[in-house]
Amino acid sequence: MSFWWRRAIVSAVVGVLFAFLLVFMLRAIFGLDPLWQGNVVATVAGLFGGLGFLYGIGCFDYWLTWAKGRPVSSEDHSFHGVSNWKQYFRINTDHKVIGIQYMAMTLFFMVCGGIMALLIRTELAAPGQQIVDGQAYNGLLSMHATLMIFVFAVPVFGGIANYVLPIMLGAKDMAFPRLNALSFWFLPVSGFLFLASTFTGMFGAAWTAYPPLASQGTAGQTLFELGVQFAGASSIATAINFLATIITMRAPGMTIWRMPILAWATGVTSVLVVFATPFIAGSQFLTMFDRVMGTHFFVPDQGGDVIMYQHIFWFYSHPAVYIMLLPGFGIISEVIATFARKPLFGYRAMAFSMVAIGVLGFGVWAHHMFVSGMAAWLRVPMMITTIIIAVPTGVKMWSWLATLWRGKIHMKAPMLWAMGFLFTFLIGGLSGVFNGIVPADIQLSDTYFITAHLHYVLYGGSVYTIFAGIYYWFPKATGKMLNERLSQWHFWLTFIGTQITFMPMHWQGLQGMPRRVADYDPRFAMINGIETIGSYMLGIATIIFFYNVVISLRKGDPAPWNPWRGRTLEWMVSSPPPLFNFDVIPQVVGGPYQYGIPDARHAVVFAPEQFGGELTEDTRYPVLVVANDTLTSQGLIDEIRSRNADGLWSFEFLVPVGDDDRAVAERRLATTLAILAGFGIAATGRVADGEVITVAGDEGKSRQPYEILVATLPTASSAWMRQDAVDRIRKRSGIATSHIVVRGDDARALTAASALPLTMIVATDAVGADALAAVVMARFDAQPARFTIICPLDLPQPRWGSESSEIRRQAGERMTATINALVSVGVQVQGEVMDDGPADALPLAIDAFTPTQILVAGVNGEAAALAGAANAAAGETPVEIVNLGAPAGSE
Amino acid sequence: MATTTGHAPAPSHGQDTHGKKHGLNAELVGMLLFIGSEVMLFASLFTAYFFIRYGVSNEVWPPLKQDGEPFELPVMLTGINTLILVGSSFTLWWGERCLKAGDRKGLIRGLWVTILMGGTFLIIQFNEYAHLGFTPQDRAFSGAFYTLTGFHGAHVAVGLIILSMCLRRAYKNDFTATQHTPLAAGSYYWHFVDIVWVLLFLLVYVI
Ligand code: HEM
Ligand SMILES: [Cu+2]
Repeated sequence: MSFWWRRAIVSAVVGVLFAFLLVFMLRAIFGLDPLWQGNVVATVAGLFGGLGFLYGIGCFDYWLTWAKGRPVSSEDHSFHGVSNWKQYFRINTDHKVIGIQYMAMTLFFMVCGGIMALLIRTELAAPGQQIVDGQAYNGLLSMHATLMIFVFAVPVFGGIANYVLPIMLGAKDMAFPRLNALSFWFLPVSGFLFLASTFTGMFGAAWTAYPPLASQGTAGQTLFELGVQFAGASSIATAINFLATIITMRAPGMTIWRMPILAWATGVTSVLVVFATPFIAGSQFLTMFDRVMGTHFFVPDQGGDVIMYQHIFWFYSHPAVYIMLLPGFGIISEVIATFARKPLFGYRAMAFSMVAIGVLGFGVWAHHMFVSGMAAWLRVPMMITTIIIAVPTGVKMWSWLATLWRGKIHMKAPMLWAMGFLFTFLIGGLSGVFNGIVPADIQLSDTYFITAHLHYVLYGGSVYTIFAGIYYWFPKATGKMLNERLSQWHFWLTFIGTQITFMPMHWQGLQGMPRRVADYDPRFAMINGIETIGSYMLGIATIIFFYNVVISLRKGDPAPWNPWRGRTLEWMVSSPPPLFNFDVIPQVVGGPYQYGIPDARHAVVFAPEQFGGELTEDTRYPVLVVANDTLTSQGLIDEIRSRNADGLWSFEFLVPVGDDDRAVAERRLATTLAILAGFGIAATGRVADGEVITVAGDEGKSRQPYEILVATLPTASSAWMRQDAVDRIRKRSGIATSHIVVRGDDARALTAASALPLTMIVATDAVGADALAAVVMARFDAQPARFTIICPLDLPQPRWGSESSEIRRQAGERMTATINALVSVGVQVQGEVMDDGPADALPLAIDAFTPTQILVAGVNGEAAALAGAANAAAGETPVEIVNLGAPAGSE
Repeated sequence: MATTTGHAPAPSHGQDTHGKKHGLNAELVGMLLFIGSEVMLFASLFTAYFFIRYGVSNEVWPPLKQDGEPFELPVMLTGINTLILVGSSFTLWWGERCLKAGDRKGLIRGLWVTILMGGTFLIIQFNEYAHLGFTPQDRAFSGAFYTLTGFHGAHVAVGLIILSMCLRRAYKNDFTATQHTPLAAGSYYWHFVDIVWVLLFLLVYVI
């Protein structure tokens, strides 16, 4: 065991012994009888034991040194970062390490609470007593709820936010790294106190601990009250830290309207924590004093008031609901924007609605007390505020849906959880509206309808969102990719399990089964049995998750910097990020969600000073482009150019030919690649025999590109779309597939913006000859180029005469024939018939087209005459002459 | 897998500022938030107090003790005590002003006076407890009274500890006219403790 743990245990034990001594001495001095009073001893021992542990593990060392007046350096980084996994078990001031410690600790408590839940469900599997009696059941229920709320759902956001928030803001760490460490270490103390109550007689007053029930019971109840204080201290300390970080440590350019929504969520949550948590501290102090000191806060015949507890408790615990949910809303906003590849819809509305929820959240607490006997006039105002708070929540819901609308949705694991959240949380939110309406709630209060509601909200809003966050940032934090197949299993088992376990509870509650009971009417036997089976599914799903984490950590694929192609700052550093995140503080230049907006940037991350320049990732993800008729079209080229501006992709073309001519496809592909190369875009490609759906679907499946782009002509004229190619490729490959539509004339036209060399062909009688087409094709096959055919006509006077018109018409027809022949085999060509003789026309044409090469093609010796004019007009441009032999149509 | 423009990322090194912005001082922001949280703690206790005070139906105020006598609080003495505590805020402010003018001796003098006044307050408060004639166990009212004043007393004690640490630092010449964040944070806290007391005095003793 390491030095720190030995010291921690020793000082915790010393603290406990000191507490015993102190209590006995004081009680002896004041003549109190008996000397041993379980509640008092538990309180004082819990307090000093906890503080002793925190001292021993090293939380206070720095401040104590400071207080003693010894020199300290605020830049002391001796407890920063880890070099091996064992160091995760000791104090650390690195926000990334603390984030992981937080996650591991809260997930551990989630598992403990989950085991309790499975025991609860086992007991409830059938009417009558199965494994525990009523007293033990109360203990299990209270422990389950307490662990889930106070050491899982409330603090867990501290894990994710600790890890990503400073990086997202472009900071090197949190504002107070040592306070951060202390906040974390409060948690194990708190959880330990809860769990330790197993040995002093479990607390049984549920997580709400209402007096007078909470004034009775064993010393376990005191440990509960103390544990809540430690958890609360942890929350407040983290929240202050987050706020100070958000307020003072944003990178230059990170205005509040450029902050990722997660930062907004963390900020609003932290405000709630700072201003609401003291109320639960107050409420627990009061019950504790009643238990330990013999005060009469909750003894009515001594002037006490039990309703007062509920008011104070819920003044915290309703905002606490948002403390559990808002960070999840932030995570979901990140995930949905990234995986729908669209700017987050209504960014400001998202931010403002969170602020509105935070503010309104302080005005609804008494909706938990409609049947408690509180002042009756409070009911209606609280009902109204409760209904109003559904409005900003609805704004968020619609904004997420609008972000998804026509997005390019990638159903990777984080996105699945986000979708699961939308569904589950929607149901929880709707049943919440029922609970908020007084006449309905009078019926629903204290039934399983409440249990159903709360699990839909907490499973959806907390568990699902946290898993979305874990799947999203796991590669960033660990440098390893999670196994996608296991991830999908985990999601689907959890999703189905949740619905099976909690959906029937609505009905059960409406039929009148009370919550918090160990036994029930036999008519509920069937439904409870089904719910128990669902809960076991949830247990199995969780095992799959941890198995996935373990094997992925050991032999998962290494994670690139930016596996999901996100835009926020944490994706612009390595995975895992370096010790202080950034060598040089980055410069923020734009909003965080500008997906699909060409050339938009969120931030510039600089390389270390000695190198200069920017820090970029050069791993590119393959995008599979499926096209045939539309190859070389301006529409397709433009689409690829704009995507390439992200700097994140490489492009692989797949040209399924079906029954078409393979050589043509090859030629068009070569042109496309050459055009793209001209823009500096690295693309590869191949022509494949076979039908588009099979070929592209299978290639997508085996190659696993990031996305498939299918380019077709408009649906009416596209053979592929008649077979519903886009949807069927998406189905067959399982890869996100999008559709690019190219107009027919565009597909056949010469690509305008192109760096391909332009060859000008000068021909008169040769136009229309098969030989000319053959020459052009051969040239093209040797090296992709664009061609312009110029046909200068020496027309007889008058030029408007019928003879001239006839010559012009014939030349036009021959020109069309040649161009059609060439285009249909995939050559990029255009042509023009000119009204002047070569000597007058060529200088104009060369001036207009600026070709890189001139080719003079003639039949029966006319080439020489043309070449003379061409040479005269060409200037620097090289001129080449080909003699084609017999004239067209002179057989 | 990744390169900077041409080079692998160099091992990074801690930078002195940690990227903190100048202007807004994170420590003071943190202290203000902490005070906000403390205000809410007192708010929860005041809530309890008022529930007890107005929950007692058909009873006189102040309520009667177990022995039938009404609870009585020494308003005059506590009023003087209040003046002492409020005065200590001003002496602290004066000490800080001296420091900002470059007068370290003045700061030390100010801190000493403040600490002595705070100590006096605590002693008078304890003396009051000893002579009140009722205990926290008496009735709900007495529990609320002791809880409120006790929590406040504990905060005064914490404030005194902070100020003594500052005093020690002041002797070691750690504070300058421009660099004295711990002192500023400590004085915020002390002013808060004073203001809470004024409220407490008005709400519990006077009305
Ligand atoms: C395997 C998953 C879970 C199962 C099977 C489960 C099951 C249950 C059941 C059956 C109850 C009601 C017991 C009764 O009223 O007698 C309950 C209560 C509760 N659960 Fe869960 N639960 C699970 C997960 C969670 C999670 C993830 C949270 C919070 C994040 C949570 C929070 C609570 C709370 C706060 C209560 C107390 C409700 C009350 O006060 O009546 N549970 N759970
Ligand atoms: Cu509520």
